[in-house]
Amino acid sequence: MNKLLKMVTLTAIAVAAIVVGYYVFFAGIEAALRWYFLATKFTASKVPNFAHNLRSGAEVTIKLTVISSITGLFLGLIAGISRLSKNPLFRWPAQFYVWVIRGTPLLVQILFAYNALPFLLNPIWKFLESLGVPPIQDVLTPYWAAFIALSVNVGAYNAEVIRAGIQAIAKGQWEAAMSLGMSPFQVMRYIIVPQAIKIVVPPLVNNVIALLKDSSLASVITLLELVHHGQRMISITFRPVEVYIAVAAIYLILTTVLTFFTDWLERELARRGAVA
Amino acid sequence: MPIIEMRNVNKWFGALHVLKDINLDVQKGEVVVVIGPSGSGKSTLIRTINALEPIQKGKILVDGIDISKPKNIDEVRKEVGMVFQSFNLFPHMTVLENVSLAPRIVRKWPREKAEQIAMELLERVDIADQAEKYPAQLSGGQQQRVAIARALAMQPKIMLFDEPTSALDPEMVGEVLDAMKELARSGMTMLVVTHEMGFAREVADRVIFMDMGEIIEEGEPDQVFSNPQHERTKSFLARIIH
Repeated sequence: MNKLLKMVTLTAIAVAAIVVGYYVFFAGIEAALRWYFLATKFTASKVPNFAHNLRSGAEVTIKLTVISSITGLFLGLIAGISRLSKNPLFRWPAQFYVWVIRGTPLLVQILFAYNALPFLLNPIWKFLESLGVPPIQDVLTPYWAAFIALSVNVGAYNAEVIRAGIQAIAKGQWEAAMSLGMSPFQVMRYIIVPQAIKIVVPPLVNNVIALLKDSSLASVITLLELVHHGQRMISITFRPVEVYIAVAAIYLILTTVLTFFTDWLERELARRGAVA
Repeated sequence: MPIIEMRNVNKWFGALHVLKDINLDVQKGEVVVVIGPSGSGKSTLIRTINALEPIQKGKILVDGIDISKPKNIDEVRKEVGMVFQSFNLFPHMTVLENVSLAPRIVRKWPREKAEQIAMELLERVDIADQAEKYPAQLSGGQQQRVAIARALAMQPKIMLFDEPTSALDPEMVGEVLDAMKELARSGMTMLVVTHEMGFAREVADRVIFMDMGEIIEEGEPDQVFSNPQHERTKSFLARIIH
């Protein structure tokens, strides 16, 4: 009971810290952008607007990255474990998924999700609309199309990482768990996955960092993320050098923060229960 | 009725015939030690009893349950505990979690009951004071005693030991053997693959000598060790008893 209370308190503190940290961080970005644009002699009256736009673009980028990473993690888990299944009904679809996604450009996947998916889903959606679901154009906005494409994309790369991580766990762990009467699912859930996590965290985080940068491709479907906001600003100011430097710097800051976070996470995972 | 019945058991690894027509009965409460040179099939033999190794021919009944039927495998594994040469503790769990996990998720006991019984077992193998530590923080001998407690937590009717002291530093062998002796005295049915002849002499009801996938000779420890009948047994014993 005491333990539970402690966990709830710690979680609440962590959530509060993340929320506060998020606002402080982006307020800091916006302040830095203002200073930078003033220092580089942009029209002073427009600077607050520019800084605000780039900041909101950066926020879209980070939010998209976070939700796509989480979804992609689950997709990767399912596909990665399915690829190891003895049952072809699980193994083949997972293999097909990884093969198609890793073998085609992300740009094409993003365009497909935004432009082609509405056509494909049309028959089903007609039926759903009759049940009161809003039309597909209102649901599959650039943001959610990008979310689908990025999640599915990173999921395929995660699947390969997770498969390798599971295969890295010694056979003796399976044997010990099975000799205690655990079902294959229980062995996965309680023994293999918790250990594999420690092995797969660094490469999975690499995938997240790649995803953060790749989310810029969503600018082609008019998503107002960081790059697209930057391009708009350039079309107004005709100053690509300063703007692209600002855009690149924000990406660099975001990836650096992510790297610090994952270094910490890695240490934390190693601390909790030494890896065998 | 014997608690383990093996009838004409045959196993191949590819073209390699590793178990040849094994016939073996083990009675309830019996302690059987299996000896033999490496590659003789002794580890494979005991691993067939909880179906960690599938067999290609023959029949194994454990407590009357035929383990060649896949649906029976989980049932048998609940009744058969196993201790491995390399301990195979779960490194991401504390000692207490290692021991209480299977009773909780396989036997569906509530956490309190599982942990209470786990503590009693850790007490029994004399390691209760390490309950909150992780396996990597323990010595080899301590880890193997935890592994024994973990297997016992499922309240098995049979315990299999696959060279339980072979990976240990010499000074830690004794503490593990002591735990096994105590278990033998409590009436547990045990099958032990080991090179510890002292242990075999002291607690085994029967010693089985295997070579090249066959049971060559079996009998009471004194008889097998002091008066081996078979040439291969003699030469093996001559090599290991200095």
